[in-house]
Amino acid sequence: MSNGTSSSMATVWAILRKECRSEWRTRYGLNAAVLFAVTSLTAVTFAAGRMPDQPEMLSALLWITLLFAALSSMSHAFVREMEGRTLLMLRLVASPTEIAVGKLLFNLLFLCVVEAITVPLFMVLTGAPPLRLPQFLTILGLGTLSLAASSTLVGAVIAQTRSRGALFAAVSLPLLLPVLASGVSGTRAQWDGMPIASDARLLAAYAVALFGVSLLLYDHLWED
Amino acid sequence: MTEAPAARVVASKLTHRYGRRATGVCDLDFEFASPGAVAVTGPNGCGKSTLLRIVAGLLRPSGGTSTVQVGGRDHGPADRRHVLGLASPELSFYEEFTAEENLVFAAEARGLGSPVRAAAAVLDRVGLGTRSADRVASFSSGMKQRLRLAFALLHEPAILLLDEPGSHLDESGREAVRDVVARHAARGLVLLATNDPEEIQLVERHLELHGHGLGDPA
Repeated sequence: MSNGTSSSMATVWAILRKECRSEWRTRYGLNAAVLFAVTSLTAVTFAAGRMPDQPEMLSALLWITLLFAALSSMSHAFVREMEGRTLLMLRLVASPTEIAVGKLLFNLLFLCVVEAITVPLFMVLTGAPPLRLPQFLTILGLGTLSLAASSTLVGAVIAQTRSRGALFAAVSLPLLLPVLASGVSGTRAQWDGMPIASDARLLAAYAVALFGVSLLLYDHLWED
Repeated sequence: MTEAPAARVVASKLTHRYGRRATGVCDLDFEFASPGAVAVTGPNGCGKSTLLRIVAGLLRPSGGTSTVQVGGRDHGPADRRHVLGLASPELSFYEEFTAEENLVFAAEARGLGSPVRAAAAVLDRVGLGTRSADRVASFSSGMKQRLRLAFALLHEPAILLLDEPGSHLDESGREAVRDVVARHAARGLVLLATNDPEEIQLVERHLELHGHGLGDPA
């Protein structure tokens, strides 16, 4: 491994740890995401009751909850840097790609934590049928990768705009529609006992494409 | 303190405009080499901070070129953060972290060998040693200014860019600035953007940016 690569990895690791520590101190994103997930799942199950025999509704509800829980908090990875005016400090210690990869890893970790809370809660509240775990985890994992890659990219692009909050949702949603569609379809397929290969392939291809585009773009993001 | 490699900052026809608004950074030609210090002076809005941002590689000039050489090697804009230290009023820190945590993070991200020791050393040097465990949110403007200075010195850069380093500082803070400039000028290169007569007296070379300040909105 070259010195440059190991130095970049050390920088990414430092940024990831900084993000985790900052989130732990402020609980800014996690509180919002978990509160959204709990509130929406509770409201839906109060209104519609448990629905163990409606996999199409269940899969849509799960992904809508995950998607909006993520959207409500993941933009903060970059917005927080702009609002705290700390982006200059970051730029002086790391390259744009190192910053973005560090934040991408944090967003992935963040989503995993949100999912670890949301999915069991979802299962209990909705009375969903048992999961086919390998298939479900494949779809959830690939969907999470796409969601994190997309949120990080959009967060980085809109970070320097004035209406960051509004723009984040508006720009993210069209990008995330393929993730939402494949996630819903794959989750439903695993409950129906159908193959998930086509949805998994689409999610994997989308995640790879988003990663590739992100890596090409990051170095040019904050050139004044 | 380690010996700094020879450093040079060269500008050729360097120009920067914000939209249609010109700055004092207009067809600038200069060459400064270490050891030594240079005061960049001129009226408010003339482009002193802009010039430092260009040299730091944070801002792409509208025209001309800037070159940073350290140890005989050219450092492109993306690479300059390794050889430059910048203390600027625009620099802010994570308020939920302590002063030490901010600098340890910066040291780790820069890949320094002993981040905790490096952070402690520079905090002592700028007089923040006793407050290193306090969160930045509780810092006064002067303490934040000292922290900016510590951040710029953290990796012992060959070139130090100081943008109004004495602002908000009390007498002991100004003494720390004088000490930093004197010691760094003896081993490396300092570019000091200021209009403070006391700070200007610290250096032997001057670069005055003319026109296009507040009173000349050309």
